[in-house]
Amino acid sequence: MLAMLGLCVAQAQITIRKGGSAKAGIDWSRLVASGAGPTEFKRVLEDDLLRSGWFVPSAPGAEFTLIGTAQDSGQLAAQIQLSSASQQRWLLSKQYTVASGAARSLAHRVADDILTAIGRKGMFSGHIAMLGTRSGAKELYVCDMDGGNLQQITNDRNICLAPRWAPDGQRITYTAFLKRYPDVYLVDLVSHSRRVIASYGGVNSGGAISPDGSLVALTLSKDGSPNLYVRALNGGTPVRLTSEPRAAIASPSWSPDGSQLVYTSDQASTAHPQLYVISRSGGTPRRLTTSGSQNVSPNWGANGLIAYASLQGKFQICVVDPNTRESRMISPGDAANYEDPCWAPDGRHIVCSRTVNYHSSIYLLDTLGDPPVAFGQLSGDWYSPSVTAK
Amino acid sequence: MQSKRWMMFLAVGLVAAVAMGSGCKKATKTGPNDGDIGGIKGGGINDVNIGNRPPEGTQEERGQFGSVYFEYDSAQVKESERAKVESVAQNLKKSTAGGIIVEGHCDERGSAEYNLALGERRAMAVRAYLQTLGVDAARIQTKSFGKEKPVALGHDEESWGKNRRAEFVLFK
Repeated sequence: MLAMLGLCVAQAQITIRKGGSAKAGIDWSRLVASGAGPTEFKRVLEDDLLRSGWFVPSAPGAEFTLIGTAQDSGQLAAQIQLSSASQQRWLLSKQYTVASGAARSLAHRVADDILTAIGRKGMFSGHIAMLGTRSGAKELYVCDMDGGNLQQITNDRNICLAPRWAPDGQRITYTAFLKRYPDVYLVDLVSHSRRVIASYGGVNSGGAISPDGSLVALTLSKDGSPNLYVRALNGGTPVRLTSEPRAAIASPSWSPDGSQLVYTSDQASTAHPQLYVISRSGGTPRRLTTSGSQNVSPNWGANGLIAYASLQGKFQICVVDPNTRESRMISPGDAANYEDPCWAPDGRHIVCSRTVNYHSSIYLLDTLGDPPVAFGQLSGDWYSPSVTAK
Repeated sequence: MQSKRWMMFLAVGLVAAVAMGSGCKKATKTGPNDGDIGGIKGGGINDVNIGNRPPEGTQEERGQFGSVYFEYDSAQVKESERAKVESVAQNLKKSTAGGIIVEGHCDERGSAEYNLALGERRAMAVRAYLQTLGVDAARIQTKSFGKEKPVALGHDEESWGKNRRAEFVLFK
């Protein structure tokens, strides 16, 4: 009797994995699904819970127990209850009803609800925008946070780069050569429309929309050299923030409160760009990085930290605290190039590209130490991921 | 002593006048490469409107001139490449009609967006040199392709060197 009690207590404890993050056991053996749609729902939900990094599947007696049913008799209905070994109440007890075809999105919603219930932030209601070459040329695609539900957005057979989600998660900016010059476009996924938002002389790129949705940061060379500009999203006169006469400046990203921008610039040494932070009103920029021969592609997360790619032999993904300038490497330092990082909505994971032998795929990195995870559902080459804010 | 200071003042004035090119009002700020003349030392031109793109449907011609090649960590027209730019200038000065698009390119390594800006810097260095050779700025457009349009598809220094280039496209 005592031995059994001891066993139960042991299983209720957090499992510490060597080289990975702390995880809690979750028993989902009593989540019952019948029929194709409900089974898909259960599979995607379990996948998401594992992908979150907070759980490890466990036997009965685990710290968390997930029970419920999912069935479809015209609509997909799920009853979900989550309990904790240490608390006397349900952490989550909810009924969901959605259209039969919405099994995936329901699973993502329930995964996020479960994470919220245990005091963590989820990421599964987010989406990834990225470029893929399945059809020959690079085109814009969108998928779920697990790589599923892949949708092709453009079919231009033209050159394009650097997609970025707008904060509303419904529009995407990117740079494309539709008029045979590099211009910035805004795609609206809801109205299925696209319009040009920057087509000045010279190069137009960046297209980073501010957190409140009103402004767009752009790299423009219209005044003689690529510099950082800010303009109202819907038009008006761009205001130049930087004044470098001979630098290659690129990749603006807004701070969470919209008061500053981080960007990359090789003003100190050509082809050796470093990260700088500048106020959205301009002024003297503050340099953030010193080590690494190239520091590029910064992405300022809602958590206040900046993810970026740093050339240290190969490209690695690093995270820097803009206040202390302390940085650390997040990618594993193996023989691959990790580039184009973007924070996931959970503020813990980073989506990036991983290139080996010149083949590029999308990976999920973990700032709490779990090994990188491939987006297994996506075959072929994928580049430049951008993740929605929520 | 007096005359030395006078000569320094003259030299600075000369550089500032060249840098201001087509009549901007603000002075360029001093930087690590101050004293550059045109694109030979990678000089940029600030506060200058770079003009309009040739309209859609304008007739374009490629292959008239050889590409200008760049070192890995450079957006400057090196000495061995100057003659190519000079022959473009000579051709353009034969008439006042039409102009040229300078396309800037990078090798495949590194961030797509940073390379788009670096390719533009290379195109602008060539443009600046063309201006110092007497070509009107309004006739020269820059267009960067970053690393998106390589001519050599190998993953080695030989291919990378061929891709770090500026190409010339004449238009009427």
